[in-house]
Amino acid sequence: MAHQKTPYQWSARGFIAPGVILVAVLLYLPLLWTVFLSFTKYNGLGSPKWIGFDNYVEMFTDGDFVGSALNTVLWVVGTLIIPVGIGLAIALLTWNLGGGIWLRLPFLIPYALSGIGVGVVWSFILSSGGALDQALAVFGVTDPPRWLLDAPLNTVVMIIASSWQGVGVNALLFTIGLQAIPKEPLEAARIDGAGGVRLFGSILWPMLRPLTAVVVGLSIVASLKTFDIVWGMTKGGPGTASETLALTMYKETFVNSDYGLGSAIAVFLTVITLVASVLYLRQQLSPKKEV
Amino acid sequence: MTSQRKVATAVAGLVIGAMALVGCSGGSGSSGEGEVTGTLDFYTDKAAWKPDFEALNASSGKDVDITLKTTGYSDANQYDAFIKQSFRTTKSPGLFTWHTGDSLKQLVDEGLVAETTDIWSKAVDEGWVSEDLRDSYTYDGKQYCVPMNIAYWVMFYNKALFDENGIEVPTTWDELNAAAAKLKSAGVTPYYQTSTLFTFQWFQHLVASSDPALYAGLTTGEVKYTDPRIVDIMNIWLDEQKDGWFSDPGSTTDPAVALKQGDFAMIDFGTFFAGNLSGAGMTEDDYGMFVIPAVNSDLETTPVAVESGPMCTAESSKQRDLGLAYSEWWMSPEAQTAWNEAHGDVAFNPKATVSNPALAELGEQVAGEGYSLYDRFFEAMPTEIVTTAIEQFGAFNANPGDPVPFLEKIQATADKYWAGQG
Repeated sequence: MAHQKTPYQWSARGFIAPGVILVAVLLYLPLLWTVFLSFTKYNGLGSPKWIGFDNYVEMFTDGDFVGSALNTVLWVVGTLIIPVGIGLAIALLTWNLGGGIWLRLPFLIPYALSGIGVGVVWSFILSSGGALDQALAVFGVTDPPRWLLDAPLNTVVMIIASSWQGVGVNALLFTIGLQAIPKEPLEAARIDGAGGVRLFGSILWPMLRPLTAVVVGLSIVASLKTFDIVWGMTKGGPGTASETLALTMYKETFVNSDYGLGSAIAVFLTVITLVASVLYLRQQLSPKKEV
Repeated sequence: MTSQRKVATAVAGLVIGAMALVGCSGGSGSSGEGEVTGTLDFYTDKAAWKPDFEALNASSGKDVDITLKTTGYSDANQYDAFIKQSFRTTKSPGLFTWHTGDSLKQLVDEGLVAETTDIWSKAVDEGWVSEDLRDSYTYDGKQYCVPMNIAYWVMFYNKALFDENGIEVPTTWDELNAAAAKLKSAGVTPYYQTSTLFTFQWFQHLVASSDPALYAGLTTGEVKYTDPRIVDIMNIWLDEQKDGWFSDPGSTTDPAVALKQGDFAMIDFGTFFAGNLSGAGMTEDDYGMFVIPAVNSDLETTPVAVESGPMCTAESSKQRDLGLAYSEWWMSPEAQTAWNEAHGDVAFNPKATVSNPALAELGEQVAGEGYSLYDRFFEAMPTEIVTTAIEQFGAFNANPGDPVPFLEKIQATADKYWAGQG
């Protein structure tokens, strides 16, 4: 049954139209264009040439792509353990302290830096003969590890550098979560004798679950698209030893001008990010879970 | 009423769209279509050279009544993407810097850059430029773009370290090796190396000066990177690595500063590096440069790597005529003398005056008997192969070992590239 649109409905559509148009033009069109390009051979000039699934075949059969994917997995795992774990620890240790904000604040300062900035600062520290090596030499370590030259050590130290930047914001988010927990169950637990690990395991952790889900979800998405800090510190090298998928995508697209292959990697990365996020958040935030 | 609202909504959408387009288009007081004097919009990925380009405005304004309005990008990849995108708009640049080799060929193949055959013919007739250099700008017998600069890849050295160790400037491969061995035994690292970007120059020299035909074969795909002769050459490099002749590839110290403070004694780099050394506080009393002796002493001439960066005009640009007028002036001795004063380096125009005496001497030496020029690895090979090769040479520098796995990776990219050309 067709309904006559009321003037109110028309005006409502008029008001949302600019937003819809902007979203369509700025988000959906580029996405569709990228998907299209992933099936073409295109160097950024002239017209894309349709080549079917060739880019995807090339991507999955390239050994370097596998290496990039493994490094990206390392980033996902590493940024879950270090910045999320330390962020939670900082929040737990400071949320009930008077003046705790002054203890958390220093961790937030690096968040103001860009990833490239963090990369430059940390490459001064970690490059051969850099600040860390010089500091170690004072303690008699004359043959320190080659922080940025040997894999997978270079990826591990870059995860630590990234954590230096990211831990503060996670601590802040967890603190907000902790402050939102009602006082009554906490007091009840304390009266029952719970404290320390028991209080955390039985009360705080379950009640933090919705916020943990968001922090972990954001962390997964951010780590899957890791680019700037690696570009700033090793450019993915030596060779391709520390490349991530986002870096491989950038290299193929903008260094090699292989827009088709770069787009195929972008599509793959988008699918992985979406699937990981949806599966994780659906499982964590499912209404049947008790909070 | 309903239709009025529809119209209002459509108009609102159009206004927003038009505003967005106006925002993108920008505005300037630059010269328009067909004009050959005025302000020329110039784009370059050499942002650091912007003051040098703008210093030329006094000369170009006086000579041909054209001044540059320079926009410099510091990220080369971002710049390349910007230029490629600009060809799809009405704002394609009247003048922009680019790269010779595969990158320029792509633009020529798509008919995106203006032909400069007349400018080149005049310049060659006047003796302003060598015919050899013209080859790098020639496609199907026609020229495109003009050379923005040239640079020879030579060896810079720290004079104090040479003097302290009683080393004369080497003129043969054996003398160079003896110098490196002597430096090493005195506790001085002979050569610079890195693990990113500038990793190709030693390979380039070892191959081209062992067998120029072998190097040429790599550029066309006729020779494979896994060729036993290439493997043998890589093993020379590996032996030098094992002897500890190269600096720490993980160092991020500015190479100009590192040469000054004696982290290593020699660095194979483009002649533009003289500007970096000057910036680091070195004078010609502190550093010198020499043509790297050929590995193969039987060669009639010593091969010297040359790079040349083009300055192009977009065929569809509204400032096409203005860009070509500037390009014509750019080739002249007056322009190149002014450019050399502003920027330094060697000059592609032999009639221009080179302000740095050491560079002037080197330029005359290389232009004379006994030397031949070959295209630098970066421009001589297709981009994809260069990317993989630079990565693999970087990996080799970081972990020197059997060269075959590194060469196999480069060859895998080469196979893919050449198959795609067939």
